[in-house]
Amino acid sequence: MDEILRVRDLKTRFFTEEGQVNAVESVSFDVRDGEIFGIVGESGSGKSVTALSVIDLIESPGRVTGGEVWYRNADLADEFREKRSEAVDGDFVDLRRLPKGVRRSLRGPSFSMVFQDPMSSLNPSITVGEQIAEAVEVQRRARANPRSTRSRTQGYGLGKYLVDSIVPGREYTSTESKERAIELLEQVGIPDPEARAEEYPHQFSGGMLQRAMIAQALAGEPDILVADEPTTALDVTIQAQILNLLRDLQREQDMSIIMITHDLGVIARMCDRVGVMYAGQIVERGTLGDIFENPVHPYTEGLLGSIPDLEDPSPRLSPIEGNVPSLLDSEMGGRCYFADRCPNAMEACLNSIPEYDTDSGEVVGDGANAEAVHTARCVLATREFDAAEALGDDYFGDRAEASDPETPDDAAEQEVVSDA
Amino acid sequence: MSFARFIIKRSLQGIFVVWGVVTVVFLLRFSTPGDPITFIAPLDASPELRQRIAEELGLNQPLYVQYFDYLTGLLTGDMGYSYISGTEAATRIFARVPATVELAVAATVVAIVISIPLGVISATRRHEPADYAATTFSLAGISTPNFWLGIMLVLVFAVQLNFLPTSRRPVGIVQAVEVLVLSGNYAGIVLWLQHITLPAITLGTYFTALVTRLTRSGMLDELGKSYVDAARAKGLPETLVRYKHALRNTLIPVITVLGLQLGTLIGGAVITEAVFAWPGLGTLVINSINTRDWPLIQGCLIVIGSSFVFVNIAVDALYAYVNPQVVYD
Repeated sequence: MDEILRVRDLKTRFFTEEGQVNAVESVSFDVRDGEIFGIVGESGSGKSVTALSVIDLIESPGRVTGGEVWYRNADLADEFREKRSEAVDGDFVDLRRLPKGVRRSLRGPSFSMVFQDPMSSLNPSITVGEQIAEAVEVQRRARANPRSTRSRTQGYGLGKYLVDSIVPGREYTSTESKERAIELLEQVGIPDPEARAEEYPHQFSGGMLQRAMIAQALAGEPDILVADEPTTALDVTIQAQILNLLRDLQREQDMSIIMITHDLGVIARMCDRVGVMYAGQIVERGTLGDIFENPVHPYTEGLLGSIPDLEDPSPRLSPIEGNVPSLLDSEMGGRCYFADRCPNAMEACLNSIPEYDTDSGEVVGDGANAEAVHTARCVLATREFDAAEALGDDYFGDRAEASDPETPDDAAEQEVVSDA
Repeated sequence: MSFARFIIKRSLQGIFVVWGVVTVVFLLRFSTPGDPITFIAPLDASPELRQRIAEELGLNQPLYVQYFDYLTGLLTGDMGYSYISGTEAATRIFARVPATVELAVAATVVAIVISIPLGVISATRRHEPADYAATTFSLAGISTPNFWLGIMLVLVFAVQLNFLPTSRRPVGIVQAVEVLVLSGNYAGIVLWLQHITLPAITLGTYFTALVTRLTRSGMLDELGKSYVDAARAKGLPETLVRYKHALRNTLIPVITVLGLQLGTLIGGAVITEAVFAWPGLGTLVINSINTRDWPLIQGCLIVIGSSFVFVNIAVDALYAYVNPQVVYD
């Protein structure tokens, strides 16, 4: 299987009044054709920001400050091979080095997104059908004008909008788009789609709305669908339906999905490969089997340890002690960010840790060992735990306390639970 | 249809509110000191003359009889006879209504045309010079007193620059349009525009500033919501994201405020009308209070109160149209 997306060393920063927040810190991963790649982590670990950075939806005060996002698209590669040779590598283009208008034009036909809470992710005062039809219409207009990628999203200014909304029969969405929207609603399993298309989001149930949201995301027939906690806001019974729907659609349309979740059950059920995120880094990635059967990073082990086991119900789960660290740049040292919570922290963990190939123990990065399947940002990938080098329990004592009150919300939400 | 039922229901409620207004306004006369006859009769009037005036006006009748007389009068459009000005109260009042409505609507138009784009610009260019300019403007607009602004505008644009007339309303919009349609002569419209510009700006400034702030903060709120991210993620042009999606939701609370303010403008343009010698209801109320011309005072208050009720019903209807989440019951 070929890669459709290669993310290399991605960095996203938020420039807040308290200081610079390193929400995404050197994240690298690949997404292959027709696979579901999972990103799992606690709240505040940077998984959503990673996805938003990939599809260029980071808003001020945030900014993607470094890294490369290589996306396979032969047409774009041909278009820019001469003009910007540094942004082209074979069939791949580096989205970060393409003009903003081009990146924007990829939203819909290349990338699309399903958000966490369907109730707030659809506009409450526009009918569901109209919102899906809009998404179809953008792509319809883009196809009508294929010569210029740039004109796809630009060239629709305020004047045109005013004329279109005042003059009758000149709406933005055409009848064809509205019909296509109804087809899409049918495709995602909404009964009586013609009538439902005329309804407003508040007339839908959560599960139906998430289906509509998925229909909207599919309107441009995207290569890559980002699903950001698509089932978190839904009832457990509905969650399974939505996950099945996503997987069926993924197979039918042969698209790739980046599945973001805090729920290891969702990961186990859906994903082919997984990246585990902690404090803005992917601390371990590999196939589903690598992560669940053979985890290397103590954080991954900790996550797995906090799942209740029905076969062997022990009286208490084993949570990971402590809290997610503050991601303020000034408070992040050059060390493994998990060291203060890690049961196996050693002196070597006080240096910043690169990604290691867990098989060979070699460093991955800068093109070296890029094909490594199972990697971990942990010294344990290269050597055994040595009790003689272990850091004392109170080594980070004062630090852990200092970062506590910074993130009360994270503390409340940090449990990672499975319902599968 | 449920929308029609909603309107009918609100109108029926409105009738009760207007009835309440009428009752309070009627009773007002009896709770204020001073005998109205004192102001009508000559200073040296004999008790017999006073008695005759009282009989003629029905002032010697019991309160409930006077009340029912007044109510039945109102239903036939009779607001009583204004002795002091020597005319039917209704005639005088309704002669003043067009001027007031014109001014209130013009001020609202000024406010909408300026404030909504300004609020949007300010929100979409947050922390840029345009935003600071708009925020400063709205702060200044909210804190500037009407009478001072009116006088300053007259001094600058009418007296110094000799650009616009200082005051008065030589022609109404209805007549001006009539002339334009019948004879194609647009001089009347120009004259009307020249005369209404300064009063409309004076009356509309506070309102403009208020709505600018509302639009700015509402828009910032809406732009932070995830449906905006979703709209961007599906590739929608930024124009549609801002105006079709975010602005639409921003306008829901703005419309409420617009309606309430339009209501206050009808009754509250007193100062502006005084500065520009604008022949509206505000000046009429003040004058009739000074002369204790009760039929006029009562009539004006009832007209102002009723238009407030009417505007509110209209706003509710508009609100229901913009916000599909309103349930009509």
